[in-house]
Amino acid sequence: MNDTYTAAFSAMGSRCEIRIAAAHTDAARAKANQAINEVRRIESKYSRYRADSVIGRINAAAGSHEVECDDETLALLGYADTLYAASEGRFDITSGVLRQVWDFRHGIMPQDGALDEVLPLVGWNKVVRHGHSIFLPLRGMELDLGGFGKEYAVDRAAEVLTGLGVQHGYVNLGGDMRFLGPRPDGEAWDIGIQDPRDMSATVASIPLGRGALATSGDYERFIEVNGRRYCHVLNPLNGMPVSYWRSISVVAPLAITAGSCTTTAMLLEEDGLDFLERSGMGYLAIDNEGRIFRRTP
Amino acid sequence: MENNKPPVGQALLAAAMLLPGLAHAESPPERGAISVKYLYYKEDQPGLDRVRVHSPSVSIMTPVAGEWSIAGSATVDDVSGASPRYHTAISGASQMDDLRKAGDVTITRYLPRGTVSVGAAFSTEHDYRSRALSLQGTLVSEDKNTTWALGIGGSDDTINPVNNLVVNEGRQTLSILAGVTRVFTPVDIGQATYTHSSGHGYYSDPYKLVDNRPRSRDQDTVLLQWNHRFIERDATSRLSYRYYHDSFGISAHTLLAEWVQSLSHGWTITPTLRLYSQRAADFYFDPVYDAKFGAPFPPGYVFGGTAFTSADQRLSAFGAITAGVKVAKQIGKDWSVDLKVERYEQRGSWRVFGDGSPGLAPLRATSLQIGFTRLW
Repeated sequence: MNDTYTAAFSAMGSRCEIRIAAAHTDAARAKANQAINEVRRIESKYSRYRADSVIGRINAAAGSHEVECDDETLALLGYADTLYAASEGRFDITSGVLRQVWDFRHGIMPQDGALDEVLPLVGWNKVVRHGHSIFLPLRGMELDLGGFGKEYAVDRAAEVLTGLGVQHGYVNLGGDMRFLGPRPDGEAWDIGIQDPRDMSATVASIPLGRGALATSGDYERFIEVNGRRYCHVLNPLNGMPVSYWRSISVVAPLAITAGSCTTTAMLLEEDGLDFLERSGMGYLAIDNEGRIFRRTP
Repeated sequence: MENNKPPVGQALLAAAMLLPGLAHAESPPERGAISVKYLYYKEDQPGLDRVRVHSPSVSIMTPVAGEWSIAGSATVDDVSGASPRYHTAISGASQMDDLRKAGDVTITRYLPRGTVSVGAAFSTEHDYRSRALSLQGTLVSEDKNTTWALGIGGSDDTINPVNNLVVNEGRQTLSILAGVTRVFTPVDIGQATYTHSSGHGYYSDPYKLVDNRPRSRDQDTVLLQWNHRFIERDATSRLSYRYYHDSFGISAHTLLAEWVQSLSHGWTITPTLRLYSQRAADFYFDPVYDAKFGAPFPPGYVFGGTAFTSADQRLSAFGAITAGVKVAKQIGKDWSVDLKVERYEQRGSWRVFGDGSPGLAPLRATSLQIGFTRLW
């Protein structure tokens, strides 16, 4: 009774988990596998590391020619356009090129002048779109759907499971979660919020049965130089890491909405709180002094 | 805070809904809702328009998830009309122009086996102020088929009539509620609720002559409800009976029947019929006036006396019928619109058990409410 089946896997550079109520393990595994396949489909279609992915082809054609897109890609680009406008230009899917000068893996700051060389390659407003085609006008420009691709995969995987009749469970891709319904006994799932400075602790928890939860933080990938933390969330306007928020969690009906709100609020720095208030969603935000701001969803 | 900016979260959500595969996202029941309602109410008696009320109201509910749900509402009433004086005589109708402000907030905490709600409400008019607090708890049985509810509430009202008949009068009321709801079958739900309230203070109507009521009032109400779902007809019937008795001597019976019929394309139609009958308060007097003083003084009236007396039509013996219909339409996943029309008529001769109060003109009222609700 009340058993749940958990499928753990890794995708999109994250630890992932699908947990669903299961009377029979085999049936649950079959359902979870269909959802995992959907995650893998999106990963391979939109990975920026694969030359044969949609993003790989668009980036390879930068400065050269336009690329035809299918309906799903067009819809995602349309969403990116809405995000760019809603975030006053901060949420920009062309800003991935900044990672060429910020080496978080090896903890190296950009060299003098390096930012000035790549900043001209950033700017969603420079991208030419008409009909089904997209064109990056400058050689070296890049698109990266990493800002919401994982959350889109969460929602799509959740839709697959819902379509298979799953009424209790959740999808968790690296901390971005969508809930298909409460526990089999009707109780909500209790979800903790990571303490941004103590990886073994949580700072808060929230019971959720439906909807979605996403968290962004400055602790995921960062460089520390002279006691100052430079996190992987980069402001496309100046190429510098944002530093105002340690962590922002948002509860929204869809994972893609929750994730877009957390990232946008991180990018807006001190204006992020106003954005969160205007979003109408529930949130829990921790600033760089450890102060907690929250709003009940 | 720049509140005039667009609700950016809704824009992002709407944009996300356009993504393939997400358009059919099942809507989480813990969605927020905002609704705007507009009420038009008009009371009339033959040859006389009495009270009209235009009342826009906005209510917001944001329970997407989590432990707390906060529901709030704010209403500003615009009341303009002639307030009834004694009985229904209408010479020199006094003009009434009230701006009423009211708001309430309820916070509910959800526990594994029940809920605890704390509520506060206030309402002010220029001559009246009311504050109320309430606490209510519910407990669900192991099999989740039975819910018990217990509640307690208190209110404190202050009355400062513009005619200065009384100054800084008040009224304090304490109420308790006990109820049980039981799911009998998957299509039958029954509910029984008992409410007792006990108050003391100023109950008279300062704007009516010869209105002198007791300074305490005990009220008891029993409400029985039964809802049945007709699956094949895609409809629900709601039946209820209410018995009311108070220490003024009023006792009343109310029968209510509603039929909620779902139709295709998101339409719902709900016809309603309510029958009401009440016995008069012990101190209500019929519109037969003292031979010497004339109206509005009852026979044998003693000036400055302490006898309880009132000519308020609401305390008379009468029967009333309300007939109404509500039509609602769900538009897409996010919008619903509803329109409700009700017609009320009250007559002394319609009292069911015993005779009604004589000599009163029928009272009729029409109300029209239109509402829009947006879910997110």
